Amino acid sequence: MLYFTLASKAYSRNLQYRGAHMVHNLASAMFGYMYACLWIGIGADHSLGEYGTQGMVSYIAFTQSSLWISGFLTNGLGIPLTVRTGQIALDLMRPVHLFTHLMAREWGQIAYQFVYKSIPIYLLFSIVFSLQWPSEASTLLFAALGLAGASYLSICMNYIIGATAMWTTESSWLHWGNHAMMNLLAGFFIPLEWLPDWLERIAWLSPYPFLLYVPTRIYLGYENGSLLWGTLLWCVLMTLICLAITQVLRRKVEVQGG
Amino acid sequence: MKTTSWFTLYKMLIQTSIRSRMQYKFNFIIASVLAALIQISEFLMVALVLHKFGAIKGWSLHEIGYLFAIMTLSKTLYRTFGNEVHHLEKYLVGGELDQLLTRPMPVLLALLPQNFRIMVGEVLQGGFILCWSLAGMMHSGQIGWTAIPFSLLVILTGAIILFSIGLATATLGFWTTRIEELQTITEDAARTAAQYPLTLYPKWMSGILLTVIPVGFVNYVPSLYLLRGELGAWVLIAVAAVAILSLAASLRFWKFGITKYQSTGS
Repeated sequence: MLYFTLASKAYSRNLQYRGAHMVHNLASAMFGYMYACLWIGIGADHSLGEYGTQGMVSYIAFTQSSLWISGFLTNGLGIPLTVRTGQIALDLMRPVHLFTHLMAREWGQIAYQFVYKSIPIYLLFSIVFSLQWPSEASTLLFAALGLAGASYLSICMNYIIGATAMWTTESSWLHWGNHAMMNLLAGFFIPLEWLPDWLERIAWLSPYPFLLYVPTRIYLGYENGSLLWGTLLWCVLMTLICLAITQVLRRKVEVQGG
Repeated sequence: MKTTSWFTLYKMLIQTSIRSRMQYKFNFIIASVLAALIQISEFLMVALVLHKFGAIKGWSLHEIGYLFAIMTLSKTLYRTFGNEVHHLEKYLVGGELDQLLTRPMPVLLALLPQNFRIMVGEVLQGGFILCWSLAGMMHSGQIGWTAIPFSLLVILTGAIILFSIGLATATLGFWTTRIEELQTITEDAARTAAQYPLTLYPKWMSGILLTVIPVGFVNYVPSLYLLRGELGAWVLIAVAAVAILSLAASLRFWKFGITKYQSTGS
């Protein structure tokens, strides 16, 4: 119940800024539109494999919309800020586990972004590019599972990044590094199979493909749900890392506040 | 006050700003290196596609690298000197602009040196891609050495155009207070769009990028002449004219906007 309240508060706090977010959605949609135009341009002279031009447009539309639930999360789940203000000491004293506490809040944020960002952006793309929706319920179900797993993985990654703020004043570089990796390894703009061989192999050794590439492939019907085992494996691994990190940071708290 | 004294004052304010930034040397170095890496990852995204498929609508990797680098360096020049214009919202919301208004100097002159940004990362990344693409095109005989001084000129006019777009967007903040969302469209999205040949986009969109938000003149239009020999040398004069006109228009708009300023501070 506590976790639900935390999540719903995070959700409703955002409702105050709906107007501004809609303007921002327009910008986000413009980015997606631009990337789609790039693929349309490439598709004019080359065949685009199993996707074809329309497939690549659908691909970009889906990754751009998904970014709001698996990419653009609160920087470090807000930990760097609480370290700076000293609030982290109080957060650690609460009778709630820091990880689950911050995670619950972030789920509220993700739910908001899903409803007010991902869906409107995807609807807009659906109209502009006449996208086809999956006809089978199982496809939708697996894609939803893939997306939920992606959100969870992203929460864990942000938690780890945030936790480094306890030891370094520059955790934001990890945040940006994470973004750079998403650009390259998550299949945001280029499907992974078109990366150079060595880079594709590196990508599959990381959790990044499960953030965007896997849910997108499933949604577009190129994959069945078997890749979700990978998502599950990474979720378990990441959870263990997050719990271990919390153990370490509970032992020595250094706050920069004052 | 004489122009020379304004200049001395501006120089002094910038020096102070640099000194304050250099208090955190480690942060500065890390941030610069990462900025370069992140920017390069963005270019790699496109480079990988070009590597796989070859040219995009007839534009080679070197040519697109050139568009990309000119845009990065122009933006870097704009943000080095005009970063606070981009962050005007902070001053509007917090009421900090009030303090600047009371200074015995033009608001813009007081505002600009508040936070002089040294963007080594972006210069490294942009400089590297520019040299690489210029060298590639020179090697294949596509361009001559004159492209180098012209490119530097184009970076300068580009910075002026980007500054004007930034200033005009910031000025709207005198009416709306919040401008960040709008900046994402007029500055970030428009700039990113112009990193690629405008022929990729539908006519209405390239039209907007050449008129309403003239980012196309930062890199695309001059490249048509410099890299591909299209149009004619008059293009460079036209680009300079667009830069001067946008600067004059945005300064006028700023002057008008500031008369509408209402403090929101506590």
